[in-house]
Amino acid sequence: MSKKELLAMLLAGGQGSRLYDLTKDVAKPAVSFGGKYRIIDFPLSNCANSGITAVGVLTQYRPYLLHSYLGTGSAWNMEDGVAILPPYATQTGGAWYAGTADAVTQNLGYIEMNDPEYVIILSGDALCRMDYADMLETHKKNNAELTIAVMPVPWEDASRFGLLVADETGRITEFQEKPPVPKSNLASMGIYIFNKQLLVDELRLDDANPDSSHDFGGDIIPKLLADGRRLFTYKFEGFWRDVGTIASFHETSMELLGDEPAFDLFQKDFPIMSNTLSYPPAYFGPDAQVDDCIVGNGSKIYGEAVHSIISIDSVIGKGAVVKDAVLLPGAIVKDGAKVINAIVGENSIIEEGVDFGSADADKDYAFCGNNVVIGKEE
Amino acid sequence: MAKVIGLITANYSTKFPSALTDSRPAASVPFLGRYRAVDFALSNMVNCGIRTLGMIMPYNYRSLIDHVGSGREWELTRKSGGLFILPGSAFGTSRTGSRFLLRDLIHNKIFLERDSSDYVILSTANWVYNMDYNEVVAAHAASGADITVITQAARDKDLDVVGLEIADGRVTGIKHGVVFGDTAFLDCFVVAREKLLEIIDWYANNDYLDLFEALAGEYDRVNVQTFEFDGYAAPIFNKDTYFKANMDMLDPKITHELFSIRPIMTKAHDNQPAKLNTGAKVANSRISGSCRISGTVTNSILGRGVIVEKDAVINNAIIMQGCVIESGACIENAIVDRNNKVSAGTELRGTEASILIKDKA
Repeated sequence: MSKKELLAMLLAGGQGSRLYDLTKDVAKPAVSFGGKYRIIDFPLSNCANSGITAVGVLTQYRPYLLHSYLGTGSAWNMEDGVAILPPYATQTGGAWYAGTADAVTQNLGYIEMNDPEYVIILSGDALCRMDYADMLETHKKNNAELTIAVMPVPWEDASRFGLLVADETGRITEFQEKPPVPKSNLASMGIYIFNKQLLVDELRLDDANPDSSHDFGGDIIPKLLADGRRLFTYKFEGFWRDVGTIASFHETSMELLGDEPAFDLFQKDFPIMSNTLSYPPAYFGPDAQVDDCIVGNGSKIYGEAVHSIISIDSVIGKGAVVKDAVLLPGAIVKDGAKVINAIVGENSIIEEGVDFGSADADKDYAFCGNNVVIGKEE
Repeated sequence: MAKVIGLITANYSTKFPSALTDSRPAASVPFLGRYRAVDFALSNMVNCGIRTLGMIMPYNYRSLIDHVGSGREWELTRKSGGLFILPGSAFGTSRTGSRFLLRDLIHNKIFLERDSSDYVILSTANWVYNMDYNEVVAAHAASGADITVITQAARDKDLDVVGLEIADGRVTGIKHGVVFGDTAFLDCFVVAREKLLEIIDWYANNDYLDLFEALAGEYDRVNVQTFEFDGYAAPIFNKDTYFKANMDMLDPKITHELFSIRPIMTKAHDNQPAKLNTGAKVANSRISGSCRISGTVTNSILGRGVIVEKDAVINNAIIMQGCVIESGACIENAIVDRNNKVSAGTELRGTEASILIKDKA
């Protein structure tokens, strides 16, 4: 195996419990987004677009779909491959990943096998377009030992985040986890570039510390700060969403729409790659009415769709109305049904004439998981 | 199950050349927005379990190789077997109508000799259908025929299609061109590998002929039987049949049969889903990935990445990959080949009887 400058470790074991039924059967990084993608396509495409050739993907929760989707990683041009890294057993036993840092600690062998100069730790469940190569340049220029990607957030929201206080050179002086009185509005995005040896040494120390919760934000960063290490910020001002809740999943999906979308899938210089099956082009029936929608291949629209995401292989029946909604791949809205302000899970069916969701802005979004049938209430 | 290998002959030209085939081999004409003609033959072969597949190339093979690549989309990148790109003679494309040129088969004998399979399925690449070839292999093995050809009653007059003369269930001759009701040859047949090697040896001195022409007068010696395919099948050798077959794809029953029962694989691209902007009107149409539509599209097929600006109108047309239809442009009864920019306010209009072609930009 040739020596790599930058190796990516992608944390993809998260359950995403606040997505409720959307993550009942699949890990959050495997949740479908944007008509044909899965959330993990975004960090993987960022890796590809940043020239990274090998990614270790740490999986744990409901991994089957994620594993089969990743395959060898060739869909993202990963020439040295995507290595799927679930928890495993050794002579002294085995354990689930106990925290973000622990997941990487348990795979130090993979890092040492690749012997990179730097390691980038990524979250597999956030949506953004980011050039990790540029972040690495900043890391090197600062002669940093750890660089943390940060995003300015509105001051009034700042106390909901892990915040980094930095001096004018970007050097981090303090870390505040969800502080009542924020000293900074730079929120950590959970994206870290470490000098490899520092990462290995620190994770070994952390592993041996019985008081640690084995978390990058909670344990590793505070310790490195206390040790006086060179920690720097990398300021990111582009589009970034965590889609951790049903509401944010829905809102972020809607940000793909409009004539000048906040999140533009058509941005030329940074393609999003994915691993999808071949479907014929989308079919629009003789009476179809479609306005302001994203429409995936293989879908069939006989009815009306307004301001919605119509994912690959989904169907909107005759006389059906889909508005301000997200149909995930293979979802079927049968004739005369109405889906409004809602998310329909993969391969789920809204039966004929059913009203799913409501135009009433005070009501919560309607949503259902994958492979369910929503009939008329008895 | 019997072991079967495949051989696709792509080294032929069409009788009625048009702008569509000036710039590319017939086997790689784009179809239904995102496919190319060859996808159907390739997928049918792979779907029946074939994993060793030869492809005899025309001289202008660039777009074909670009599309098929190493055969990855058809599971043909393998350690054993896989896709074999085979040379075709320059003679192939200069002689219209010949689809199984003996010279090409003889020159590539080594592909057949090096394998140990029982049967070979040979096919051209310009018929659109989705068929389980296992059925025809089983029928072939059971009947004791030397060659089993796949056929269908012709639905239209078509001078590009080969017709078969039949007596007592056996093929007795061929003719070029069919009319309604004739037995049309779907350009696909099954033969025992050893038998094929034997037959092509007989004609080593007449290698300028098509295999089925060479067999003329010897159909008593070579038992050629038919297997009728009763699903949807459309030839796409010329402009008119090409346009008609594309428009057939606006019938969901046909596309269900073609794409849902067994997959038709094609080269994957990282296309975005299609985006319909505010004010777009799209009805009775098929829209491929990466299209961005703000205007009106009816009764049409759009290839990948087509941009239709506000107030542009497209009706009864095929717009291929990468075209930009500017505001106020109007396109009707037309095929617009790749990468054309139809500027604001211009009209491209054919008639239903005479479809206009705008060649590749």
